[in-house]
Amino acid sequence: MAQSDQFNGRLGLIFASIGAAIGTGNIWRFPRMVGANGGGTFLIPWLIFLFAWSIPLVIAEFAMGKRSRTGTIGTFRIFAGKRFAWMGLWTAWISTAIGFYYAIVAGWTIKYFQLGITGGLTGEGVDTTEVWNSFLQNPGQVIFFQFIVICLTLAAIWKGAKAIEKVNVVLMISLFVLLFMSLFLSLWMDFEDGTLDGATFMFSVDPDLLFEPEIWINALSQSAWSCSAGMGMAITYAVYMRKDEDTVLNAFTMGLANNSISIIAGLAVLSSIFAVSSDPLATVTGGSSAITFLALPEVFAQAPGGSIGPFVMMAGFFLALSFAALTSMISTVELCVRNFVDHGYNRERSVAITGLALFIFGLPSAVMWIKLDSAGVAFPEFLEVQDHIWGYGLMFSGLFIAFTIWKYGYVRWKAQVAAGEAPGGFKGYLGVGVSAFRDDFINTGDNDIVVGRWWDILLYIAFPILFTVLMVSYFGDMIANTDDVWNPGNPKGLGIILAFWGVVAISFLFLNKYLIQRPIFRNIPEGAEVDISTLPGGDDDRVFELGELVPGFEHLASEDAVFEAEAV
Amino acid sequence: MTPMVASSLAQDEPSGLEPTDIWSEDYSNEIFPWAPESDRDRQFKEYHTYETTKALMLQLEQENPDIFEFHEGLLGGVNARGETVTADTYEGWYYGYSSPWMKITGDVQNGEYNEFVGDNGNYADRHDVMIVGNHHAREWMSYTVALMQLEVIAFSYNNIGYDNDGDGLVDEDPWGDANNDGILDDDGDCLALATSPTNYQDSNGDGTNCGPGDLGVDEDYSEQFITDLINTREIYLIPMLNVDGNIYDREVFCPAPAWESCPSGGWRKNLRNNGPDLLPDFNEEVDEDCDGVDLNRNYQFEWGAPLGATVPLIPGTCTPSEDEQAGIANNDVYTGPYDTQDNDGDGLINEDNVDGEDDDNDGRTDEDWAGGNSEPETRFIQDLTEMNDDVGNGASEFKSTLTHHSYSELILYPWGHCTDCETTDHDQLVYHGDKLAEMTDYTNMQSSDLYPTTGDFCDWHYGVHGSYCYTSEIGTAFHQHEDDIDHIAVRNLGTGFYMAEIADNPRERADLGIANISQNQFIQMPDMVNIPSIGSIPVDMCVANGFAYSLEKSVSHVMYRTVQPTRLQSDYGPKEWSTTEWSMAMFEETTSTCNLLNGENGTVIRSNLPVEDTVSGQVHYKAMLGTLGGGDLYLYPANGEYYVLEVDYRADYGTLFGALFMFFLVTSFVWGGLAICLRMMLVDENEKEFSEAVLEDGD
Repeated sequence: MAQSDQFNGRLGLIFASIGAAIGTGNIWRFPRMVGANGGGTFLIPWLIFLFAWSIPLVIAEFAMGKRSRTGTIGTFRIFAGKRFAWMGLWTAWISTAIGFYYAIVAGWTIKYFQLGITGGLTGEGVDTTEVWNSFLQNPGQVIFFQFIVICLTLAAIWKGAKAIEKVNVVLMISLFVLLFMSLFLSLWMDFEDGTLDGATFMFSVDPDLLFEPEIWINALSQSAWSCSAGMGMAITYAVYMRKDEDTVLNAFTMGLANNSISIIAGLAVLSSIFAVSSDPLATVTGGSSAITFLALPEVFAQAPGGSIGPFVMMAGFFLALSFAALTSMISTVELCVRNFVDHGYNRERSVAITGLALFIFGLPSAVMWIKLDSAGVAFPEFLEVQDHIWGYGLMFSGLFIAFTIWKYGYVRWKAQVAAGEAPGGFKGYLGVGVSAFRDDFINTGDNDIVVGRWWDILLYIAFPILFTVLMVSYFGDMIANTDDVWNPGNPKGLGIILAFWGVVAISFLFLNKYLIQRPIFRNIPEGAEVDISTLPGGDDDRVFELGELVPGFEHLASEDAVFEAEAV
Repeated sequence: MTPMVASSLAQDEPSGLEPTDIWSEDYSNEIFPWAPESDRDRQFKEYHTYETTKALMLQLEQENPDIFEFHEGLLGGVNARGETVTADTYEGWYYGYSSPWMKITGDVQNGEYNEFVGDNGNYADRHDVMIVGNHHAREWMSYTVALMQLEVIAFSYNNIGYDNDGDGLVDEDPWGDANNDGILDDDGDCLALATSPTNYQDSNGDGTNCGPGDLGVDEDYSEQFITDLINTREIYLIPMLNVDGNIYDREVFCPAPAWESCPSGGWRKNLRNNGPDLLPDFNEEVDEDCDGVDLNRNYQFEWGAPLGATVPLIPGTCTPSEDEQAGIANNDVYTGPYDTQDNDGDGLINEDNVDGEDDDNDGRTDEDWAGGNSEPETRFIQDLTEMNDDVGNGASEFKSTLTHHSYSELILYPWGHCTDCETTDHDQLVYHGDKLAEMTDYTNMQSSDLYPTTGDFCDWHYGVHGSYCYTSEIGTAFHQHEDDIDHIAVRNLGTGFYMAEIADNPRERADLGIANISQNQFIQMPDMVNIPSIGSIPVDMCVANGFAYSLEKSVSHVMYRTVQPTRLQSDYGPKEWSTTEWSMAMFEETTSTCNLLNGENGTVIRSNLPVEDTVSGQVHYKAMLGTLGGGDLYLYPANGEYYVLEVDYRADYGTLFGALFMFFLVTSFVWGGLAICLRMMLVDENEKEFSEAVLEDGD
């Protein structure tokens, strides 16, 4: 049977996952966080949390997706059981809901690339605020670029894994090149005033600041949000892994690549801002989109090299930014589409429907509540509210993954005790239960790096503590510093978040029983070891392999088999 | 188009702004933020009754247990005069309710507990103020204003920076003429309104444009100021003293609507039974001719004098009235019965009336009085005053007191009992009275210049306890039409807060105010502050040489906080700030001199704000000064506002060497790690196939 869809090679998967992980968060959130949190001091906790939070979660995601061979819904259905399929739906929804407005943000970056190459950001009398405001306040323009982003994304994923792979390889390599070019120019700028103070600041450690909890919390948030850990991206791409792929090495590569890009982008942004700004830290810590679309064009306009420097800098940087945004967009759409395909829907139709939904549900964020802040800079408040609501929801996707692992360990140990294969008691649980997921799905023999006990400790102890710290500190801050925080009508409050979450979670819980009545089809490459007999999904009589004929659902399998066969 | 049409159109065009152009919809329609629009009495569109007053107070106590403690009457015990009394002592004669009141102060459940009064939250270093409404039953605005003050306190406490009028600015127009330019509308928003075809500047219709009570005048007071006030004062707010009379007036005497049934009169007194039978006599109907005592003639200071003023010809007697509802009353100011007891047990009666003097030369003062203090309500006030002794010196803690009455748009200060006489604090009383009159646009005058009275609240408070006491005569009718409740209450809202503010040392405040001292002191504006390249930021305050400032940190200090980017900063929105808690930095004396705002010489005191060098953002600062005389809460800038100082990052960016070291460490870790991972992948045999595949693809 040649019905499964998979990546050609390991680097394809790596590039796709790196593309998913690297987004605007690396290029415009990271420099702001470094600026606001003591420069080089921030890098220490940020690196620690890469290994304590992001990579362990990504390992888990790859391992789950590689075994379940389905998207997020199927993965939770197989790993956590039928009753928990809604967790996968939640994960998919959060990612898609973010995609609704992320397409618009990606559109901004393309617009700025266009402005960069047409010289709309350089020259006498260009007021970057005016450029930004007139763009944002022009719904036609914003929608046009949103539309372009969606078209490009759909084109990239229309044909499935191999196309995704190719696009990501090309975009990621170009991104590296473009960012290095920007970095070179900005270091040159920073060096011209004789000090390299941007780079110095970014790599200077103030030991006192290491005792500030604030810095650690911010570093954790940066690591958690920027690396896409726990968001279901790795689950989705793992579906296309070849049979003997090393999940652990992939996770390390993806995490390290993500942070590598952050460092390059951070250095480029900080150096150029420190080179020309009188109070660089105030500039860097200004509202996020403000740095990118207001401060940076001003800074880049002063790049050395006559008219070539600013041109290269401006066009190169925004092209890199739009590549980063596009590759993230691709993974977002693929995450959604994969779930449709798993449930027997035709891929092309799924892609089209997802694209249409992205466009339509994104429109309000593109045109509604475009306001001016106190400094007269336009910002899209509806989009911001969407980000406020769904951004925090991402953390719960991560929690669901951890929950699944905890649950599996406990159930597996209980079963082994019942079968007389494992000792009972707490010691038995520590010995067999806690390591069950790792033993069964991570250390499968395909991996060069064998994952040790450290992973259990991180997942069972560090993760719940860090998750709690993150949630308590963020929501605590929100409660303490927001007026009228419980009023669901307050776009900055907690009430609106809980209201939306409540509605979504309740309707998903309700949908769960319909969801599990449908058969689900696993995308299994030939010869892959995908035994799920120890998992709840092993007892699920509606889990099938792609291409199988399911009584009552023959139309699904046949249609799909034809399509998938063509694809490969 | 003909010219005629054009001119008529032009007339219809407003020549300025409409309220909704400036303010929120709610504020423009006088919808208050503390209750839903449909809640008519809490919106001050209807009068509260006794029942709703009590229910509201209980509700507010429940919602704000940190600052409110609800009481009715007092618990009793042995009072300051050695009498043993119980809680029953303070229950009204007729309906049997004690006056409801609220103890208001920050962290009210702590502080000392007063066994006699029954209240918590007694702090030796907090200044006490008493505010009483509704001595006279029919004066409905007098308790309404007190209830609005209660609502405002509940809403404003710790609700810093609330935008009361929804114009996007906060705290821009406090009570009174804050900037001394002679215009109450400090922010000029009312004055920007159109005057034709609709005169929006006179929204309350009293004939004065942009006067107090008009929309946009004194409408955005500082919640910080109110919070500071509640945290440094104990407010005893007694909105409805005369519960008996109030219920009778509403339910029996003046059938609703009262402003129609009693256009110029109403029930004034309490419901003491003046005969023929002795109390208790619950079955007896109220004898409207003779029953009741005028509570504001029942206090003991100079009780019974002057004969023939607005008292019955002979104190303690009743002359039946002719037409009470029309306001023709001969017995409305009945002072209560003569005291026939030998209060001191020396065999003589009434030989030393309450007047602050030892009339009988026996070495004791005011020990055998002629009358007064005979009513449950006045006994409540007198015992509360005499038993509220936080510092244990036997004297009343109330240095300022205010009683609301109606009507005639006046502010009255003592004396009331004598004509052509002045108190020893006359100039000071006039000073504060002028301030109260300024914020209400009322007339300030000595009480007895209106008409002489005997045994009134303020004469007693000032005469016996030295408290600066004012009587506000609110509005233009006893039963003001209900359409007028909201704006009249707003117009009088500031007086209660002003009295609370001056409760620390009203005499000193007046002296400093008269000499223009406190107003001419200032703390450095942000553009004058020199931020050093490293270390604490010094902020100077210029104080007058005649100002006996205290260096005690608790009363004299600079409050500062930093404002930095928040971790909640959205990735797509404008810059968001997170504000730290206020911290306190003390003042130090210096030898430098400075010029006060009036050009005279002053002395510099300095506070060094320990702001970290790594702070990039804003520093907010404000000062409070206290005096050696116990005054405090002299705020700079005024009204709980603060200055905003922009501070750049001042610390080093680091050393090149250290940065290089860190750079190599981080990059070898991250980039090196990545390289190792990629290498491990590439040596994997399968990858050779991949590269072949790519090559093939390329073909």
